[in-house]
Amino acid sequence: MSESLREILDLQLFWEFRTVLLRGLAVNFYVFIAAAVLALSLGLGAALLRNSRAAPLRWLGTLHVEIFRNAPDYVMVVWVHFVLPLLIGVVLHSRFEFNPFVSAMIALGFVYSGYFAETFRAGIEAIPAGHLEAARSLGIGEGLILRRIILPQVVRSMLPESINQFISLFKATTIVSLIAVPDLMYQVSMITQQQMRPLPLYTGAAITYFVIVLVAGSSLRVLADRWRARIRA
Amino acid sequence: MNNWERLVWNQRDALLAGLQVTIEVCFISFACAIVGGLVLCLVRMYVRPLRPVATFLIEFFRATPILVQLLWVNYAWPEIFGWPTSFYQAACTALALQSSGYLAETFRGGIEAVPRGQREAAFAVGMSPLLVFRRIILPQVLLGSAPAIVNQFTVIVKSSTLVSVITVQDLMFQSQKIVNIAYEPIEILTATAALYIAFIYVVSMIGKLLADRLRRSYGIAAH
Repeated sequence: MSESLREILDLQLFWEFRTVLLRGLAVNFYVFIAAAVLALSLGLGAALLRNSRAAPLRWLGTLHVEIFRNAPDYVMVVWVHFVLPLLIGVVLHSRFEFNPFVSAMIALGFVYSGYFAETFRAGIEAIPAGHLEAARSLGIGEGLILRRIILPQVVRSMLPESINQFISLFKATTIVSLIAVPDLMYQVSMITQQQMRPLPLYTGAAITYFVIVLVAGSSLRVLADRWRARIRA
Repeated sequence: MNNWERLVWNQRDALLAGLQVTIEVCFISFACAIVGGLVLCLVRMYVRPLRPVATFLIEFFRATPILVQLLWVNYAWPEIFGWPTSFYQAACTALALQSSGYLAETFRGGIEAVPRGQREAAFAVGMSPLLVFRRIILPQVLLGSAPAIVNQFTVIVKSSTLVSVITVQDLMFQSQKIVNIAYEPIEILTATAALYIAFIYVVSMIGKLLADRLRRSYGIAAH
Protein backbone atom coordinates (compact mmCIF):
# COMPACT_ATOMS: atom_id res chain seq x y z
CA MET A 1 0.00 0.00 0.00
CA SER A 2 2.64 2.54 1.04
CA GLU A 3 4.83 1.60 -1.90
CA SER A 4 2.02 2.11 -4.40
CA LEU A 5 1.22 5.38 -2.70
CA ARG A 6 4.77 6.49 -3.29
CA GLU A 7 4.36 5.42 -6.87
CA ILE A 8 1.35 7.67 -7.38
CA LEU A 9 2.99 10.63 -5.73
CA ASP A 10 6.07 9.98 -7.80
CA LEU A 11 4.75 11.35 -11.05
CA GLN A 12 8.18 11.38 -12.70
CA LEU A 13 7.05 9.19 -15.55
CA PHE A 14 4.30 11.70 -16.29
CA TRP A 15 6.81 14.55 -16.16
CA GLU A 16 9.25 12.71 -18.42
CA PHE A 17 6.75 12.78 -21.30
CA ARG A 18 5.67 16.38 -20.70
CA THR A 19 6.21 17.64 -24.28
CA VAL A 20 4.06 14.93 -25.86
CA LEU A 21 1.45 15.29 -23.17
CA LEU A 22 1.35 19.07 -23.50
CA ARG A 23 0.89 18.71 -27.23
CA GLY A 24 -2.01 16.37 -26.43
CA LEU A 25 -3.51 18.93 -24.09
CA ALA A 26 -3.25 21.57 -26.82
CA VAL A 27 -5.29 19.25 -29.07
CA ASN A 28 -7.94 19.12 -26.33
CA PHE A 29 -8.13 22.90 -26.46
CA TYR A 30 -8.35 23.00 -30.27
CA VAL A 31 -11.21 20.48 -30.25
CA PHE A 32 -12.87 22.46 -27.47
CA ILE A 33 -12.68 25.78 -29.34
CA ALA A 34 -13.84 24.34 -32.67
CA ALA A 35 -16.74 22.48 -31.05
CA ALA A 36 -17.69 25.48 -28.89
CA VAL A 37 -17.94 27.80 -31.91
CA LEU A 38 -20.09 25.26 -33.76
CA ALA A 39 -22.25 24.58 -30.70
CA LEU A 40 -22.86 28.27 -30.03
CA SER A 41 -23.89 29.07 -33.60
CA LEU A 42 -26.10 25.98 -33.98
CA GLY A 43 -27.56 26.61 -30.53
CA LEU A 44 -28.45 30.18 -31.37
CA GLY A 45 -29.99 29.00 -34.65
CA ALA A 46 -32.10 26.37 -32.91
CA ALA A 47 -33.22 28.82 -30.22
CA LEU A 48 -34.31 31.35 -32.87
CA LEU A 49 -36.17 28.58 -34.72
CA ARG A 50 -38.00 27.64 -31.53
CA ASN A 51 -39.06 31.25 -31.10
CA SER A 52 -40.09 31.80 -34.70
CA ARG A 53 -43.66 32.49 -35.73
CA ALA A 54 -44.06 29.61 -38.23
CA ALA A 55 -45.05 26.37 -36.50
CA PRO A 56 -43.00 23.98 -38.73
CA LEU A 57 -39.86 25.99 -37.94
CA ARG A 58 -40.64 25.76 -34.23
CA TRP A 59 -41.03 21.97 -34.53
CA LEU A 60 -37.70 21.77 -36.32
CA GLY A 61 -36.01 23.68 -33.51
CA THR A 62 -37.65 21.48 -30.87
CA LEU A 63 -36.63 18.33 -32.73
CA HIS A 64 -33.02 19.52 -32.90
CA VAL A 65 -32.95 20.27 -29.17
CA GLU A 66 -34.64 17.02 -28.12
CA ILE A 67 -32.39 14.84 -30.25
CA PHE A 68 -29.08 16.35 -29.29
CA ARG A 69 -29.84 17.02 -25.64
CA ASN A 70 -30.67 13.36 -25.18
CA ALA A 71 -27.80 11.95 -27.23
CA PRO A 72 -24.81 10.46 -25.37
CA ASP A 73 -21.66 12.22 -26.63
CA TYR A 74 -19.68 9.01 -27.14
CA VAL A 75 -22.41 7.46 -29.27
CA MET A 76 -22.60 10.63 -31.36
CA VAL A 77 -18.82 10.78 -31.81
CA VAL A 78 -18.78 7.18 -33.04
CA TRP A 79 -21.80 7.73 -35.30
CA VAL A 80 -20.40 10.87 -36.89
CA HIS A 81 -17.01 9.26 -37.43
CA PHE A 82 -18.13 5.93 -38.85
CA VAL A 83 -21.61 6.45 -40.32
CA LEU A 84 -21.90 10.05 -41.50
CA PRO A 85 -19.01 9.81 -44.03
CA LEU A 86 -20.62 6.69 -45.55
CA LEU A 87 -23.95 8.47 -45.90
CA ILE A 88 -22.28 11.50 -47.49
CA GLY A 89 -20.38 9.08 -49.75
CA VAL A 90 -23.65 7.55 -50.94
CA VAL A 91 -24.98 11.00 -51.79
CA LEU A 92 -21.78 12.08 -53.56
CA HIS A 93 -21.22 8.68 -55.24
CA SER A 94 -17.63 8.57 -54.06
CA ARG A 95 -15.56 7.47 -51.08
CA PHE A 96 -15.58 10.02 -48.36
CA GLU A 97 -13.83 10.15 -45.00
CA PHE A 98 -13.60 12.51 -42.08
CA ASN A 99 -10.41 13.40 -40.37
CA PRO A 100 -10.98 12.35 -36.70
CA PHE A 101 -10.61 15.98 -35.63
CA VAL A 102 -13.47 17.02 -37.91
CA SER A 103 -15.68 14.19 -36.65
CA ALA A 104 -14.95 15.20 -33.07
CA MET A 105 -15.79 18.83 -33.78
CA ILE A 106 -19.06 18.01 -35.56
CA ALA A 107 -20.26 15.47 -32.98
CA LEU A 108 -19.48 17.54 -29.90
CA GLY A 109 -20.66 20.74 -31.59
CA PHE A 110 -24.05 19.22 -32.39
CA VAL A 111 -24.53 17.56 -29.00
CA TYR A 112 -23.72 20.72 -27.08
CA SER A 113 -25.78 22.91 -29.41
CA GLY A 114 -28.81 21.18 -27.84
CA TYR A 115 -27.84 22.42 -24.39
CA PHE A 116 -26.84 25.88 -25.61
CA ALA A 117 -30.14 26.25 -27.47
CA GLU A 118 -32.04 25.83 -24.20
CA THR A 119 -29.85 28.41 -22.48
CA PHE A 120 -30.27 30.86 -25.37
CA ARG A 121 -34.02 30.31 -25.36
CA ALA A 122 -34.31 31.03 -21.64
CA GLY A 123 -32.29 34.20 -22.21
CA ILE A 124 -34.46 35.29 -25.14
CA GLU A 125 -37.69 34.63 -23.24
CA ALA A 126 -36.43 36.71 -20.32
CA ILE A 127 -36.34 39.84 -22.50
CA PRO A 128 -39.45 41.95 -21.87
CA ALA A 129 -41.82 41.96 -24.87
CA GLY A 130 -41.87 45.76 -24.68
CA HIS A 131 -38.26 45.93 -25.90
CA LEU A 132 -39.14 44.16 -29.12
CA GLU A 133 -42.35 46.14 -29.62
CA ALA A 134 -40.52 49.42 -29.04
CA ALA A 135 -37.74 48.45 -31.46
CA ARG A 136 -40.21 47.33 -34.13
CA SER A 137 -42.31 50.46 -33.79
CA LEU A 138 -39.15 52.50 -34.35
CA GLY A 139 -38.73 50.61 -37.62
CA ILE A 140 -35.52 48.79 -36.67
CA GLY A 141 -34.90 45.74 -38.89
CA GLU A 142 -35.11 42.19 -37.48
CA GLY A 143 -31.38 41.57 -37.96
CA LEU A 144 -30.46 44.75 -36.14
CA ILE A 145 -32.92 43.94 -33.34
CA LEU A 146 -31.24 40.57 -32.88
CA ARG A 147 -27.77 42.08 -32.85
CA ARG A 148 -28.29 45.21 -30.82
CA ILE A 149 -31.21 44.41 -28.51
CA ILE A 150 -31.61 40.67 -28.06
CA LEU A 151 -28.07 39.27 -28.11
CA PRO A 152 -26.42 41.68 -25.64
CA GLN A 153 -29.09 40.94 -23.02
CA VAL A 154 -29.08 37.20 -23.75
CA VAL A 155 -25.32 36.93 -23.42
CA ARG A 156 -25.40 38.69 -20.08
CA SER A 157 -28.17 36.53 -18.61
CA MET A 158 -26.89 33.20 -19.95
CA LEU A 159 -23.30 33.68 -18.86
CA PRO A 160 -23.34 31.70 -15.57
CA GLU A 161 -25.22 28.78 -17.12
CA SER A 162 -23.02 28.70 -20.20
CA ILE A 163 -19.82 28.57 -18.15
CA ASN A 164 -21.01 25.22 -16.78
CA GLN A 165 -21.72 24.04 -20.31
CA PHE A 166 -18.33 25.13 -21.59
CA ILE A 167 -16.76 23.14 -18.78
CA SER A 168 -18.83 20.05 -19.61
CA LEU A 169 -17.78 20.46 -23.22
CA PHE A 170 -14.12 20.66 -22.25
CA LYS A 171 -14.50 17.51 -20.16
CA ALA A 172 -16.21 15.80 -23.09
CA THR A 173 -13.23 16.50 -25.35
CA THR A 174 -11.42 13.60 -23.62
CA ILE A 175 -13.79 11.23 -25.45
CA VAL A 176 -12.25 12.11 -28.82
CA SER A 177 -9.18 10.04 -27.88
CA LEU A 178 -11.37 7.01 -28.63
CA ILE A 179 -11.52 7.87 -32.34
CA ALA A 180 -7.74 8.47 -32.33
CA VAL A 181 -7.63 12.25 -32.11
CA PRO A 182 -4.19 12.64 -30.48
CA ASP A 183 -5.36 14.44 -27.33
CA LEU A 184 -3.97 14.07 -23.81
CA MET A 185 -5.85 10.85 -23.00
CA TYR A 186 -4.78 9.34 -26.33
CA GLN A 187 -1.12 10.08 -25.56
CA VAL A 188 -1.53 8.68 -22.06
CA SER A 189 -2.88 5.38 -23.41
CA MET A 190 -0.09 5.21 -25.99
CA ILE A 191 2.62 5.79 -23.39
CA THR A 192 0.94 3.30 -21.06
CA GLN A 193 1.17 0.65 -23.75
CA GLN A 194 4.90 1.31 -24.16
CA GLN A 195 5.80 1.65 -20.50
CA MET A 196 3.32 -0.77 -18.92
CA ARG A 197 2.91 1.55 -15.95
CA PRO A 198 -0.67 2.82 -15.94
CA LEU A 199 -0.71 4.02 -12.33
CA PRO A 200 1.37 7.23 -12.51
CA LEU A 201 0.19 8.07 -16.01
CA TYR A 202 -3.55 7.85 -15.43
CA THR A 203 -3.22 9.50 -12.03
CA GLY A 204 -1.26 12.33 -13.65
CA ALA A 205 -3.94 12.73 -16.31
CA ALA A 206 -6.71 12.82 -13.71
CA ILE A 207 -4.86 15.46 -11.67
CA THR A 208 -4.12 17.55 -14.79
CA TYR A 209 -7.77 17.68 -15.85
CA PHE A 210 -8.90 18.27 -12.28
CA VAL A 211 -6.60 21.28 -11.87
CA ILE A 212 -7.49 22.77 -15.27
CA VAL A 213 -11.24 22.42 -14.79
CA LEU A 214 -11.15 23.70 -11.22
CA VAL A 215 -8.96 26.73 -11.97
CA ALA A 216 -10.68 27.61 -15.25
CA GLY A 217 -14.15 27.14 -13.77
CA SER A 218 -13.64 29.26 -10.67
CA SER A 219 -11.73 32.05 -12.42
CA LEU A 220 -14.31 32.24 -15.23
CA ARG A 221 -17.08 32.49 -12.66
CA VAL A 222 -15.29 35.33 -10.84
CA LEU A 223 -14.65 37.17 -14.11
CA ALA A 224 -18.27 36.76 -15.23
CA ASP A 225 -19.62 38.04 -11.91
CA ARG A 226 -17.33 41.05 -12.06
CA TRP A 227 -18.30 41.80 -15.65
CA ARG A 228 -22.01 41.57 -14.91
CA ALA A 229 -21.63 43.77 -11.84
CA ARG A 230 -19.74 46.40 -13.83
CA ILE A 231 -22.34 46.46 -16.60
CA ARG A 232 -25.20 46.81 -14.16
CA ALA A 233 -23.50 49.69 -12.33
CA MET B 1 -34.70 -2.59 -45.59
CA ASN B 2 -33.15 -6.02 -45.97
CA ASN B 3 -30.00 -4.70 -44.34
CA TRP B 4 -31.94 -3.45 -41.34
CA GLU B 5 -33.45 -6.85 -40.84
CA ARG B 6 -30.13 -8.66 -41.22
CA LEU B 7 -27.98 -6.30 -39.16
CA VAL B 8 -30.35 -4.99 -36.52
CA TRP B 9 -33.44 -7.17 -36.11
CA ASN B 10 -31.62 -10.47 -36.34
CA GLN B 11 -29.10 -9.24 -33.76
CA ARG B 12 -31.78 -8.26 -31.30
CA ASP B 13 -30.75 -10.85 -28.69
CA ALA B 14 -27.25 -9.40 -28.43
CA LEU B 15 -28.57 -5.86 -28.39
CA LEU B 16 -31.17 -6.61 -25.74
CA ALA B 17 -28.54 -8.34 -23.60
CA GLY B 18 -26.42 -5.21 -23.97
CA LEU B 19 -29.35 -2.97 -23.05
CA GLN B 20 -29.91 -5.06 -19.95
CA VAL B 21 -26.29 -4.61 -18.89
CA THR B 22 -26.60 -0.87 -19.54
CA ILE B 23 -29.70 -0.64 -17.35
CA GLU B 24 -28.09 -2.73 -14.59
CA VAL B 25 -24.93 -0.65 -14.55
CA CYS B 26 -26.96 2.57 -14.48
CA PHE B 27 -29.20 1.51 -11.60
CA ILE B 28 -26.35 0.13 -9.49
CA SER B 29 -24.28 3.28 -10.01
CA PHE B 30 -27.28 5.52 -9.38
CA ALA B 31 -28.11 3.80 -6.07
CA CYS B 32 -24.47 3.99 -4.97
CA ALA B 33 -24.25 7.62 -6.08
CA ILE B 34 -27.30 8.63 -4.00
CA VAL B 35 -25.87 7.00 -0.88
CA GLY B 36 -22.37 8.33 -1.58
CA GLY B 37 -23.64 11.80 -2.38
CA LEU B 38 -25.70 11.93 0.82
CA VAL B 39 -22.71 10.80 2.90
CA LEU B 40 -20.34 13.30 1.24
CA CYS B 41 -22.85 16.10 1.69
CA LEU B 42 -23.54 15.33 5.36
CA VAL B 43 -19.84 15.00 6.15
CA ARG B 44 -19.15 18.29 4.41
CA MET B 45 -21.90 20.09 6.30
CA TYR B 46 -21.81 18.57 9.77
CA VAL B 47 -18.47 16.83 10.43
CA ARG B 48 -16.12 19.74 10.90
CA PRO B 49 -12.75 17.86 11.04
CA LEU B 50 -13.45 15.93 7.84
CA ARG B 51 -14.85 18.87 5.92
CA PRO B 52 -11.73 19.58 3.78
CA VAL B 53 -11.55 15.91 2.77
CA ALA B 54 -15.20 15.80 1.72
CA THR B 55 -14.90 19.12 -0.13
CA PHE B 56 -11.83 17.91 -1.99
CA LEU B 57 -13.50 14.63 -2.97
CA ILE B 58 -16.65 16.39 -4.19
CA GLU B 59 -14.62 18.84 -6.27
CA PHE B 60 -12.39 16.08 -7.62
CA PHE B 61 -15.29 13.87 -8.69
CA ARG B 62 -17.05 16.79 -10.32
CA ALA B 63 -14.07 18.24 -12.13
CA THR B 64 -12.53 15.14 -13.71
CA PRO B 65 -13.96 13.94 -17.04
CA ILE B 66 -15.82 10.64 -16.79
CA LEU B 67 -13.54 8.85 -19.27
CA VAL B 68 -10.46 9.85 -17.27
CA GLN B 69 -12.08 8.69 -14.06
CA LEU B 70 -13.19 5.42 -15.60
CA LEU B 71 -9.70 4.58 -16.85
CA TRP B 72 -8.13 5.82 -13.62
CA VAL B 73 -10.37 3.63 -11.45
CA ASN B 74 -9.88 0.73 -13.84
CA TYR B 75 -6.08 0.87 -14.12
CA ALA B 76 -4.80 2.69 -11.04
CA TRP B 77 -7.12 1.54 -8.25
CA PRO B 78 -6.33 -2.18 -8.40
CA GLU B 79 -2.67 -1.30 -7.81
CA ILE B 80 -3.39 1.08 -4.95
CA PHE B 81 -6.32 -0.55 -3.16
CA GLY B 82 -6.37 -4.05 -4.68
CA TRP B 83 -9.93 -3.32 -5.84
CA PRO B 84 -11.98 -3.33 -8.15
CA THR B 85 -11.29 -6.81 -9.37
CA SER B 86 -13.50 -6.75 -12.47
CA PHE B 87 -14.26 -4.30 -15.27
CA TYR B 88 -17.90 -4.35 -14.25
CA GLN B 89 -17.09 -3.18 -10.71
CA ALA B 90 -14.72 -0.53 -12.05
CA ALA B 91 -17.42 0.78 -14.38
CA CYS B 92 -20.05 1.04 -11.63
CA THR B 93 -17.55 2.63 -9.23
CA ALA B 94 -16.45 5.32 -11.67
CA LEU B 95 -20.01 6.23 -12.66
CA ALA B 96 -21.09 6.28 -9.01
CA LEU B 97 -18.15 8.47 -7.94
CA GLN B 98 -18.80 11.05 -10.63
CA SER B 99 -22.50 11.35 -9.81
CA SER B 100 -22.01 11.29 -6.05
CA GLY B 101 -20.03 14.52 -6.39
CA TYR B 102 -22.85 16.22 -8.29
CA LEU B 103 -25.58 14.80 -6.03
CA ALA B 104 -23.71 15.93 -2.91
CA GLU B 105 -23.95 19.52 -4.15
CA THR B 106 -27.62 19.04 -5.07
CA PHE B 107 -28.41 17.73 -1.58
CA ARG B 108 -26.48 20.56 0.03
CA GLY B 109 -28.53 23.10 -1.90
CA GLY B 110 -31.69 21.29 -0.80
CA ILE B 111 -30.70 21.19 2.87
CA GLU B 112 -29.73 24.85 2.89
CA ALA B 113 -33.11 25.71 1.35
CA VAL B 114 -35.00 24.32 4.37
CA PRO B 115 -35.79 27.32 6.57
CA ARG B 116 -33.77 27.42 9.82
CA GLY B 117 -36.86 27.97 11.92
CA GLN B 118 -38.22 24.52 11.05
CA ARG B 119 -35.18 22.81 12.52
CA GLU B 120 -35.27 25.00 15.61
CA ALA B 121 -38.97 24.31 16.07
CA ALA B 122 -38.41 20.57 15.73
CA PHE B 123 -35.63 20.66 18.31
CA ALA B 124 -37.83 22.77 20.59
CA VAL B 125 -40.57 20.12 20.60
CA GLY B 126 -37.91 17.60 21.66
CA MET B 127 -37.14 15.71 18.44
CA SER B 128 -33.70 14.11 18.30
CA PRO B 129 -31.25 15.30 15.60
CA LEU B 130 -31.67 12.03 13.71
CA LEU B 131 -35.44 12.30 13.78
CA VAL B 132 -35.28 15.93 12.66
CA PHE B 133 -33.14 14.91 9.72
CA ARG B 134 -35.33 11.96 8.79
CA ARG B 135 -38.75 13.53 9.24
CA ILE B 136 -38.24 17.24 8.61
CA ILE B 137 -35.22 17.80 6.40
CA LEU B 138 -34.80 14.73 4.18
CA PRO B 139 -38.35 14.65 2.74
CA GLN B 140 -38.12 18.31 1.76
CA VAL B 141 -34.66 17.85 0.26
CA LEU B 142 -35.78 14.87 -1.82
CA LEU B 143 -38.89 16.71 -3.00
CA GLY B 144 -37.09 19.92 -3.80
CA SER B 145 -34.24 18.31 -5.68
CA ALA B 146 -36.26 15.58 -7.42
CA PRO B 147 -35.77 17.09 -10.91
CA ALA B 148 -32.02 17.46 -10.38
CA ILE B 149 -31.76 13.89 -9.11
CA VAL B 150 -33.61 12.50 -12.14
CA ASN B 151 -31.46 14.65 -14.39
CA GLN B 152 -28.39 13.06 -12.81
CA PHE B 153 -29.74 9.64 -13.77
CA THR B 154 -29.86 10.66 -17.43
CA VAL B 155 -26.25 11.86 -17.07
CA ILE B 156 -25.34 8.40 -15.78
CA VAL B 157 -27.05 6.74 -18.74
CA LYS B 158 -25.11 8.97 -21.14
CA SER B 159 -21.81 8.33 -19.39
CA SER B 160 -22.52 4.60 -19.22
CA THR B 161 -21.90 4.36 -22.98
CA LEU B 162 -18.20 4.75 -22.13
CA VAL B 163 -18.00 1.56 -20.07
CA SER B 164 -17.75 -0.31 -23.36
CA VAL B 165 -14.22 1.10 -23.55
CA ILE B 166 -13.15 -1.13 -20.67
CA THR B 167 -15.01 -4.08 -22.29
CA VAL B 168 -18.13 -4.09 -20.14
CA GLN B 169 -20.65 -5.66 -22.51
CA ASP B 170 -23.27 -2.93 -22.59
CA LEU B 171 -25.41 -1.86 -25.55
CA MET B 172 -22.60 0.19 -27.10
CA PHE B 173 -20.17 -2.73 -26.76
CA GLN B 174 -22.56 -5.16 -28.44
CA SER B 175 -23.28 -2.83 -31.31
CA GLN B 176 -19.59 -2.15 -31.92
CA LYS B 177 -18.97 -5.89 -31.85
CA ILE B 178 -21.56 -6.36 -34.59
CA VAL B 179 -19.88 -3.56 -36.58
CA ASN B 180 -16.53 -5.29 -36.28
CA ILE B 181 -17.96 -8.57 -37.53
CA ALA B 182 -20.13 -7.23 -40.35
CA TYR B 183 -18.12 -4.17 -41.42
CA GLU B 184 -21.39 -2.40 -42.15
CA PRO B 185 -21.82 0.28 -39.53
CA ILE B 186 -24.65 2.39 -40.97
CA GLU B 187 -27.72 0.49 -39.81
CA ILE B 188 -26.51 -0.86 -36.51
CA LEU B 189 -24.88 2.34 -35.25
CA THR B 190 -27.87 4.43 -36.33
CA ALA B 191 -30.22 2.04 -34.56
CA THR B 192 -28.06 2.12 -31.42
CA ALA B 193 -27.92 5.92 -31.39
CA ALA B 194 -31.70 6.11 -31.89
CA LEU B 195 -32.25 3.58 -29.10
CA TYR B 196 -30.11 5.57 -26.66
CA ILE B 197 -31.76 8.88 -27.57
CA ALA B 198 -35.23 7.38 -27.20
CA PHE B 199 -34.31 5.68 -23.92
CA ILE B 200 -32.89 8.86 -22.39
CA TYR B 201 -35.84 10.90 -23.70
CA VAL B 202 -38.31 8.51 -22.08
CA VAL B 203 -36.37 8.46 -18.80
CA SER B 204 -36.30 12.23 -18.57
CA MET B 205 -40.01 12.47 -19.49
CA ILE B 206 -40.97 9.96 -16.78
CA GLY B 207 -38.74 11.79 -14.34
CA LYS B 208 -40.34 15.12 -15.14
CA LEU B 209 -43.85 13.70 -14.73
CA LEU B 210 -42.96 12.00 -11.44
CA ALA B 211 -41.30 15.10 -10.07
CA ASP B 212 -44.28 17.27 -11.05
CA ARG B 213 -46.77 14.88 -9.48
CA LEU B 214 -44.75 14.59 -6.27
CA ARG B 215 -44.54 18.34 -5.98
CA ARG B 216 -48.19 18.87 -6.73
CA SER B 217 -49.31 16.29 -4.19
CA TYR B 218 -47.18 18.00 -1.54
CA GLY B 219 -48.23 21.46 -2.61
CA ILE B 220 -44.84 22.68 -3.73
CA ALA B 221 -45.00 24.69 -6.94
CA ALA B 222 -42.74 23.56 -9.75
CA HIS B 223 -40.21 26.14 -10.81
